[in-house]
Order: sequence, then C-alpha cells, then structure tokens
Amino acid sequence: MSRYFRELSVVGALAALLLGLAIFAPAFFSPQPLLSLVTREAPTLVVACGMALVIISRQIDISVGSQFSVCSVCAGLLAARGWPLALVLPASITMGALLGAINGALVAGLRLPSIVVTLATMVTLRQGLNLVRQGEFVNMPDAIQWFGLPQATGQLVLVALSVALLIALALAMRHLAAGRFVYAVGTDAEASRLAGIRPQLVTFLVFVFIGALTGLAAMMNIVQSPQVQPLSGAGLELKVIAAVVVGGVAISGGRGNLWGAFAGLLLLACVSPALTHLHIEAYWEKAIQGAIILLAVVADGLRSRKAGN
Amino acid sequence: MKNSLLRLCAAGAVLLASLATAVAADSKLVVAMLPKSKGNAYFISCKAGADKAAKELGVQLLFDGPTDSNAAKQNEIVENWITLGVDVIAVAAENKEGISTALRKAQKQGINVITYDADALPDARAFFVNQATPEGIGQSLMDEAARLTGGEGEFAMIVGSLTAANQREWQKHVEARLKEKYPKMKLVVVRPCDDLKDKAQSEATAMLSANSNLKLIMAICSPGVPGTAEAVKQAGKAGKVKVMGLGLPNENRRYVKEGVTDSVILWNTGDLGYLTVYAGAALAKGELKKGAKTVKAGSLGTFQIAGDNILLGKPFIFNKGNIDQFDF
Amino acid sequence: MSHVTPAPGNSRPWKARLLSHEMLLLYVLLAEWLFFYFAGTTTNRRGVVVGFGTWDRQFDILRHSCEIGLLALALTPVIITAGIDLSVGSLLGLSAILFGQLWHDAGLPIPLAIAFTLVLGALAGGLNALLITTLRLPPLIVTLGTYSLFRGLAEAITRGSVTYTDFPESFLFFGQERWLGLPTQAWIFFAVAAAVWLLMHRTTFGRSFRAIGLAPEGARYAGLPVGRRVALVYVLAGLIAALAAIIYTARLGQAKADAGTGYELFAITAVVLGGTSIFGGTGSVHGTLLGVAAIAVLKNGLACLPVVMRMNAAEEMSGLLTGALLLLALTAGVLPKMLSKLRPRRHAPAV
Repeated sequence: MSRYFRELSVVGALAALLLGLAIFAPAFFSPQPLLSLVTREAPTLVVACGMALVIISRQIDISVGSQFSVCSVCAGLLAARGWPLALVLPASITMGALLGAINGALVAGLRLPSIVVTLATMVTLRQGLNLVRQGEFVNMPDAIQWFGLPQATGQLVLVALSVALLIALALAMRHLAAGRFVYAVGTDAEASRLAGIRPQLVTFLVFVFIGALTGLAAMMNIVQSPQVQPLSGAGLELKVIAAVVVGGVAISGGRGNLWGAFAGLLLLACVSPALTHLHIEAYWEKAIQGAIILLAVVADGLRSRKAGN
Repeated sequence: MKNSLLRLCAAGAVLLASLATAVAADSKLVVAMLPKSKGNAYFISCKAGADKAAKELGVQLLFDGPTDSNAAKQNEIVENWITLGVDVIAVAAENKEGISTALRKAQKQGINVITYDADALPDARAFFVNQATPEGIGQSLMDEAARLTGGEGEFAMIVGSLTAANQREWQKHVEARLKEKYPKMKLVVVRPCDDLKDKAQSEATAMLSANSNLKLIMAICSPGVPGTAEAVKQAGKAGKVKVMGLGLPNENRRYVKEGVTDSVILWNTGDLGYLTVYAGAALAKGELKKGAKTVKAGSLGTFQIAGDNILLGKPFIFNKGNIDQFDF
Repeated sequence: MSHVTPAPGNSRPWKARLLSHEMLLLYVLLAEWLFFYFAGTTTNRRGVVVGFGTWDRQFDILRHSCEIGLLALALTPVIITAGIDLSVGSLLGLSAILFGQLWHDAGLPIPLAIAFTLVLGALAGGLNALLITTLRLPPLIVTLGTYSLFRGLAEAITRGSVTYTDFPESFLFFGQERWLGLPTQAWIFFAVAAAVWLLMHRTTFGRSFRAIGLAPEGARYAGLPVGRRVALVYVLAGLIAALAAIIYTARLGQAKADAGTGYELFAITAVVLGGTSIFGGTGSVHGTLLGVAAIAVLKNGLACLPVVMRMNAAEEMSGLLTGALLLLALTAGVLPKMLSKLRPRRHAPAV
C-alpha cells in the first residue's frame, strides 16, 4: 500500500476531479465526445511513456516538442507526395529515432548533460523548421486520416494503440531485463557498470527510443486532421515532463513507474476540459496546473522527510 | 581540439564574409516591413503582395519579425532597422504604446514610418494602412454570427492567446456588438488555443461536449478556424454547429467546401501588403504628403485616405460560393 | 575551468589561461564582432554609414541585452550550486504586472512601487527556496511548477488583457534614455554584474556555492549552512528577476502578463555557453557575461548582414546558430577529456 502511495494519491486526485465532473457536468462522460477527448491525448501519452523512461534513467529530454514538429511536417510532406501510409509511418518513426540518436550520441557518447544537449537540439530543430517552412501548413490527402478507417474505428485504434503501448512498456519495465537495466542505470550508473550493464549504451538506446515514440506520436496526431501545422508540438516537452513528475517518477532517476505517469497525464490533461465543462474562465488554467505540480512534489517532500525522521 | 575549434570559426567567418560582400548594398530604396509574427500564414500572404509591389517599384523589401508574437522583439527589430538606415519602416504593431517609442525614434532619424494591420499611436507614424478597424472586425464577426444562427442561441469563442493585444480588442468589440444588438444570443465560453491548430481542435471538442445547445463556434485566430472545423466535423455536428471566424481561404478551403465551415472573414491580405509598400515608397519619394486625399497603388488603382488612414476597403466574407476565386 | 581558481601543479599556466573556456569564448566574441563590423556595416543611399559598426547599434545591443543579462546573472549562482531556476522568465512577467498594479491601481509613487516589487520578487524566489531547501525537492521540478504558477498568476490577475502603460517620463528614462553616454539600464546591469561578481569570486559565499555544487554532503560536513546558502541563491534570483521586470517595463513603456516569455531558456543558454557546468561546482560570472555578449552580438550582427537580410531570416538564423554554438562549446570542452580518458581505461585492470 505505502509502496504505491504516490501513484494512488494521484489516482485519488483524479477520481475526485472526475467525481466533481460527474456531479456538476455529467455531459463530460457522454461516450462519443469523451472518446474524442481521449483520442486527442493519445499521442501525448505515447511521448509521456518515453519521457518516463528517460527520467527513470536519470536523464531528461526537452527537445521532444521540436522532434514532434519535425516528424509531423516530414510525415505530412511525404503523405502529400502520395506515399502510402505503410511507408509514411515507419518513415516518421525512423526520423524520430534518428533525432533521438543525435541526442543519445551527445549525451551517452560524449557524456554531456542531457538538459543542455536537448535544450540546444530543441532550439536548433525548431528554428531550422521555421527557416524551411515559414509556418506554412501542410495539406494531406484525405486517405491519411484515421489510417483510412472510419472515424470511430480510427479513434479506437489510436486509443487502443497508446494504451497497449503503455501496458507493454509498463510490464517490460518490470519484468524484462532491459527494463530493469533502465532502473539500474538511473539509480547508479557506476554500480550498474560494475554489474555488467553498459550504462552508456542503455542511455543511448533510451534516447533513440523516446525519439521513435515521438515519431509514432507525431503520426498518431497527424492522422487526426488533414492539415499539419509546423508549430504543432510546441510546449509538448513541459506537458509530458510535468505529467511524468506529477505521476511520481523521481527526477533523480531510478524511481517511479509508467502507471503513475499515466495517472499524472490524465490528471493534468483533464484540467482544461474540466474548466470548460464547469464553466470556469480560462485565466486560471496555467496557475492551476502549476499548483498541481507543486502540490505533487510537496507531498513527495513531506513524505520523504517523515520517512527520514 | 580547441585549436581546431578556433580554426573552424575562422574558416566560417571568412566564408560568410565573402558571401556578405558579394551582395553589398546597392542604392535602391529600402522598405522594411514588420509583421506581428513571421510564421503566421496571414502575414506570409501579406508578404506575397508586398514582394509583388517591391518588384514593380524596384525597391528592396526587408520582411522580418518575431517568430512568435512578441512586443519586446518588435522593438528590437525596429531599432535595428534604424541603425541600418532604411528608408521606410512599415509596422503591424503588437502593442501600441510599446512600439511607439521605437517608431518615434525612427521618425527623429528621418525615416518614414507607416503602420498597417494594427496601428501604433498616431504621433508615431505618418499614415495607417487601415484594412478594417478593430471595431469593424468585431462588428462583422458578430453580425455574421447572428446571420448564421438567426440571431439567437448560445455560441462559443476560440482566441489565439489570452494576452495577444489584437485578439483581446476584437473580442471586446464582438462582445460590445453582442450586448448592443443581439440580446437573444449568449457567449457561453471563451478558450485560448495558443495559436495551435491541434489545441484549437481539442478545445472545440471539449466545448461541444460541455455545451449541448451550442449553435456556433467563432474562432478569431487563423489556426483556430480549421482546428475548430475538424472538431465539429468529428463530433458529427457539421451544419448543426456553425463554424466561422477570421482566417485564410487556403487553410479553410476544404472545410468550407465540405460545408463544415460556413464563412471565413478576411480582407485581402495580399492587397494589404501591396498597398503598404506602395504607400511607404510614395511617402519616401515625397509623393504622398500629410493631408493627401488619395494614394495610387499600381495595378490596384487609387485608394481613398480618410484623415491619416489609408482605407483598404471592407473585409470579404468567404463562403462556399466565392472561396475558389481566392488563393492566399 | 575557471581561471580565477588557481591551477597548482600546472606546468604551463600561461597556456592554460589562454585556452581556458572564458578566453576561448572571448576569442569567439572578438571574431564575431570583427566579422560583423566588416561585413555588417555599409553606407546607405544617403551616404550615411549604417549597420553594425555604428555606436547607435552597439548601444542598442547593450540595451537589449540587459534583461536577459540580468536573468543570466541571477542563474549563474543557481547553476553553480547544481540547481536550476526555470521560473525566472515567468517571474519577470508576474513582477511586471505587480509593479504596474502597485503604481497604477494602488497609486504608489514609482520608487515605492519599485521597492515593493523587488520585495515581492525576492519573496517569490523565497517560495522556490523554501520548497527546495526545507523539503529537499529537486529544483528542476519545483521551478517547473512555479514557472507555470507565476505566469498563470500574471494571466489570472490581469485576465490576460490588462496592460499598464502611460508611465511617467522620469521612469521611462531608465529604459529608453542614456545617462553618461550609455543606455541608462546598462549602468544598473553593470552594477548588478559587479555585485554578483564580487559575491561569487571575492567572498567566502562564492567559494561555498562552488563547494555546495561539487558535493553538498561534503559541504554540510565541512560545517557550511547548505540550506541557507542555497536559499540565498534562489531569493537572489527572484530579486534580480524583479529588477529585470522593472527595466523591461521601462524599456517598452508597458507591463503585460506575457513579459519575458521564454527568457529563461536564453538565460540558461548564456550561462552554459559561458562555461558554467550544469552539474554545478564550476563556472564564473565573467564567463556568463561573455556568453550573454556572444549571443547578443550574433543575433544583432546577423540582422545587419545583407545576405541574411535578403533571406529575411535573422530570427531563425540566430536561433539556429545559437543552438549550434552551444553544442560546439559543449563538445569542444569535453572531447579532449574524453579522448585522453578512453585510452588509459582500456588498459586499466578490472576492478
């Protein structure tokens, strides 16, 4: 019980919010609109899973928003040129993996601090994209939307895909050796090296992995609308980092799990539609999100202080 | 390694220097045009018109601005142009008071200053190329919304951000018009989309489920209209919930044709850029003076001047019937 | 890395000095400056010398660098203690709004409003400090929270739309005029820079910050009041961010909730470019100043180059090159160490 206190408290907060919505704004739970809202967050969940891995391995990646934009625009342009979906999807994932590999090489290969490396790649990718595209929308053929499926099916596929990915990754992190390597490297890189793990390789692969997931997420986002805006994904990095941290993944590495990250994401993602449903004006949104982050970490701090005493 | 870094820098510098001298400044008239935000499709289409005018007039056009709407950066860019000694500065002001200090400084240095799209304080510029007043835009938006809904029912708004000056002003005038003329209509929710199409789509989805009586959604930033349209389409409410707003024909064409978006309001942005460059050049050449009643702008003919406002003409309402006549 | 720390046992101290990070950055800065001086200066149609090589331009660069420069100064001690403060840009926005309110709504005279704003800024920094030191929370997350919170409060207080303007001339003097030949705010910036430099390099405080950054536990055992020292650093950051807000307001003549959006990233970039290690322990204030200058000269110089002007891409190019410069600075500092480390380790016996 106390082992999962952190995750459970986030779930509790989420449940309270949902209960409030059920009482004051039952319309929130009508199935079709809810499915649409959930589908909108599916790509974010995929990136958040990757971010959880990165943070567990004691790194951080603030370039995911820019990676997301680059992958979206590239995939959109390929689709507009008539590439079939079966090729665009792997192309987008590969693009993301390559961008992640750049971060990974700099962080793991040259042992540079990830926060600075990804700050630099974030700026470089974003401005490079601005330079090339000048903000112009990419128009895609209709066949791309919902992977060519009917809308409701497409939405279900996207949600199922992201949840399946979450479950698979959560189980893998717990039960597979590779998952435990990530925890080991995040807890103590030197100790893990002595235990026969190659920490730099694990770090590199984690960055490649989040890149690939971002590429996938970009694809999951562009199938939801026939146009790609180059700005899409701006601010994504802070959204997913906040979600992961609220969900109890420790920024100092080695602690936390994907279920918590999932709950954290749901909680933060609910704030905006909840305000709309409860007819609260939008001006408080950022302050509320900030307060949730602070409350979550303060709860952490108080608990660990108690434990320490 | 450190030495090679130095060498690399030196090599880069030499390369760039040769590039720079190869295109040394010539003796053309230089018109510098400042958009609110460079990546915005609205200003990109303005630039297309401005480019055309610059070519016809044989002037050099500089078109630079912040990549996001940022008042502080606008000032920095104008101050840069002052030291570059350009001949004309044409500004779409993100913030009236903020930009005016920089513009007054430019005027003191003998640079001709005009504004377009969004005005600065009157003493900081010679003319304002007026595409439509904020009041006019607010009224057109609200009148069109009332026409589409038959003058009654609930509607919602999506704005660019909570802090963008022009958005706030348009919203204010929409609300004023609503209060004054349409008592049976009710604005139930206003949400920001941070100028992100994806976020507009999410926000509109939430609006639709939260307000079952919604008759219309009005998006007053250009990425907001297609985002809203996609949300309404996916909710299966095309036609039942009307979509309208300020946007560009090209970004909205598919939704207008599908019947999801009913009308998109905008002036001809290309003409706005074209007229601005012509007016600026005329000002620099001394052909346009204070008190003038008209100004000529190449192939577009003559434009009226009211006081110190050069009038572009009324905004267009694009709909299914006429949208194919426009490409910007 | 920093050349104020003596390097005992170094056989070639003069060479080490000439190749220290700060000196390399100085060479880059000089190279940048000379290049733009020659390539970015022209004579215009009316026969007037214009562009980068004019005094006006140089003063403008100085004027535009003050706010980000102040934030970078605020962040230098923070990062040296192995912390980070993402909230300074948001705090700039919040402070600008509070200043506008104190002056316009509460009717306080300008000096009093400035004093209160500075106190409020220090208090906001104190909130960060409280959470970071008493609860031992990671600074990255605490300040990510306050990054949202401060900006959110600024938006909520003004409902996004209230803009404070019409400040008196005597106040705008600080942001728009010159005093003794230099932009007025530059004097404030220099004064703060000198104060922070003295604090970091000439007092025991500075040394204790380094010690905390290198090994907080060790510093604690050595009897340093680690919590109080770290708290001081964040309060100082809040105070300086509020000062930057005053200058920002005076320069633009307006206070609005979006003031300083994204400035934290520019400031962090400048600090890291200046040679301060993000892991803490090493770094210098003069390095930060060079970092700020290198970015400002690059940005302004590019905007004066005819070729960039024709591409209409000054903003994007400067962003792109700043990112590249940061990566270059990082790798250049690390590669030689990596290479020399790799060799002996390969032959080292297994532990």
